[in-house]
Amino acid sequence: MNATPAIELIEVGKDYGAVPVLTGVNLTIADGEFIALLGPSGCGKSTLLKLIAGLEELSEGEIYVGGRLANYLKPSDRDVAMVFQNYALYPHMTVRENIGFPLKMAGLGKDEIRQKVEAAANFLQLGAQLDRFPDELSGGQRQRVALGRAIVRQPLAFLMDEPLSNLDALLRVEMRTELVRLHKRVGRTTVYVTHDQVEAMTMANRIVLMHKGVIQQVGTPNEVYSHPANTFVATFVGSPPMNLFAGRVESVGGCRKFVGAFNVPLEGIGIADGAATLGIRPEQVQIAPPETPQTLAATVELVERVGADSFVVSQIAEGVTITARVDAARSITEGDRVAVRLPPAELRLFDVAGLAVPREGA
Amino acid sequence: MAQDVAAHVTQAELRRAGTDHAAARHRRRRRNELLRHLALAAITFALVAPFYYVFLASLKNATEIFSYPPKLLPFPPYFGNYKKLLFDTGFLRWMFNTLFVAGSVTTLKIFLDSMAGYALAKVDMTGKKVVFMAMLILLMVPIGALVVPLWALMSSFGLIDTYAALILPPLANPLGAILMRQFILGLPKDLENAARLDGLSEFGIYWRIVLPLIKPGLVVLAVIIFTDQFMSFIWPLIATTSDELQVLTVGVAALRSHGGANYGLWSASAVMSLIPVGVFFFVLQRQFLARSLAGALKQ
Repeated sequence: MNATPAIELIEVGKDYGAVPVLTGVNLTIADGEFIALLGPSGCGKSTLLKLIAGLEELSEGEIYVGGRLANYLKPSDRDVAMVFQNYALYPHMTVRENIGFPLKMAGLGKDEIRQKVEAAANFLQLGAQLDRFPDELSGGQRQRVALGRAIVRQPLAFLMDEPLSNLDALLRVEMRTELVRLHKRVGRTTVYVTHDQVEAMTMANRIVLMHKGVIQQVGTPNEVYSHPANTFVATFVGSPPMNLFAGRVESVGGCRKFVGAFNVPLEGIGIADGAATLGIRPEQVQIAPPETPQTLAATVELVERVGADSFVVSQIAEGVTITARVDAARSITEGDRVAVRLPPAELRLFDVAGLAVPREGA
Repeated sequence: MAQDVAAHVTQAELRRAGTDHAAARHRRRRRNELLRHLALAAITFALVAPFYYVFLASLKNATEIFSYPPKLLPFPPYFGNYKKLLFDTGFLRWMFNTLFVAGSVTTLKIFLDSMAGYALAKVDMTGKKVVFMAMLILLMVPIGALVVPLWALMSSFGLIDTYAALILPPLANPLGAILMRQFILGLPKDLENAARLDGLSEFGIYWRIVLPLIKPGLVVLAVIIFTDQFMSFIWPLIATTSDELQVLTVGVAALRSHGGANYGLWSASAVMSLIPVGVFFFVLQRQFLARSLAGALKQ
């Protein structure tokens, strides 16, 4: 592990004429870290990856790769390797030629190329496919060839642009595990672009959540999930997303309360009176028998069974629903009268700008 | 029980009706196929008959050509027309000139057009759209409108009646570059990006990645350019004055105007002229099977 960050972005910006794509991106990626750039389509995550790779020109800011200013370096001189969303294998070359091509371009000798290619192929279980062409391989094998072409260079960092997005669900899960295993064995910095939150949550050490060209939050999967920085993160991460309720914070008789479609006392959240949004994750919402004290009366509108769990959507006020995640074994059906309990410690509050209000002492 | 019998009868009837229906469908399909084959045979006959007539005429002497009824299989064949064509006219020289000019133009244009196509499709440069529009407009200018200024230009360079006069002007035809641009536009951007990361220069990307991938397009272009040059008549007629530089089209036309009405000789020249184009097409069509983009990308 090196003390110099593998990649450092300082005030990075990118625009296409009058259209800004990225604004004020600051990010430090440690050596050996697995970072996921997560966000909806068009948020600028792939552009950011291409800026790091040198495939797009910066509009402003500085990019350091391995401590070197990379703004004016050619893509091949940045010591990064990229795995593309579409594998981008050379169709007129065999697997052996595809994997060995970057080494050939780097001027390595034939014997050295052969050794490295065979080592990478064996590592990726592609030994038997070395003399085949890409169109003779399955999707998973092509994916491995693309990985082989990246790892054979032994770069400082791997840049991966949604490499699993077009694989079928089963293969995606398999490749996800393989990528994590690969990262652990190779130990190189990996920047992984995805719009799939499950991929980001399961693979990355840290998640960079982006929206409209701006970083919304950087944190571990747990931080991003449990302590979203704003309402966008709260709704983008998590399936189903966090329950959000618009209302006001008011002080009533020395007690602070959230007043909206329902009223709940607020404990340990320092926020001035005024408009606010209250949030709670579905798995923190508790469903109790009707008439339970200190609960909200609700009527079950919909029960979605998703295997071990069920998502229970209940109406707690006119036009206001709340989703709870409960054990599928519980016998709750549509139309049931229930009580909904919101544990005060699990409530999250967002100010009028949608930014999270930290809990006191946090 | 009665219901069971009724059901049984109904099933049997249905099966029989189904069999009849299948047989009728089979008959109808065979009839349609026969009609289709008859139509194809008629079209084939219409296309092949003139060529066969010319081929027959080339193997007949002057008397046999006009004999009635015409012989469909001339036996013994008369090779005098071919002998005369090869040894008493400049046919071999014309053929050499034509192959040399068409081959040179094809080779040079393949490179120039693919490079121009790559630049138009993939390289960011100011005025790219204007250049492309100008090329499209130029495509619509007829050769008749270009002949005089082109002759003046060639004459001012002192190139009239040289091979250069036959080879250089066709290189400026924008059709190939436009075709190549369309082919190259279809190549995914990620392939270029991967090549850039692998350390290839812009020319390296063109030469090592793009060119092998557009091989089928290059073959199409080569066939178009070669046949176009092979059949080119007006410009070679104007750009050359000496017999040594005459191409096939001009030479054969001269044969008609100077040699009298020798239909057998004309037919032999037509048959001989077709051979190089046929061979060229036959050789290149195998290249159509070149490895395509399959496998490059996720599907």
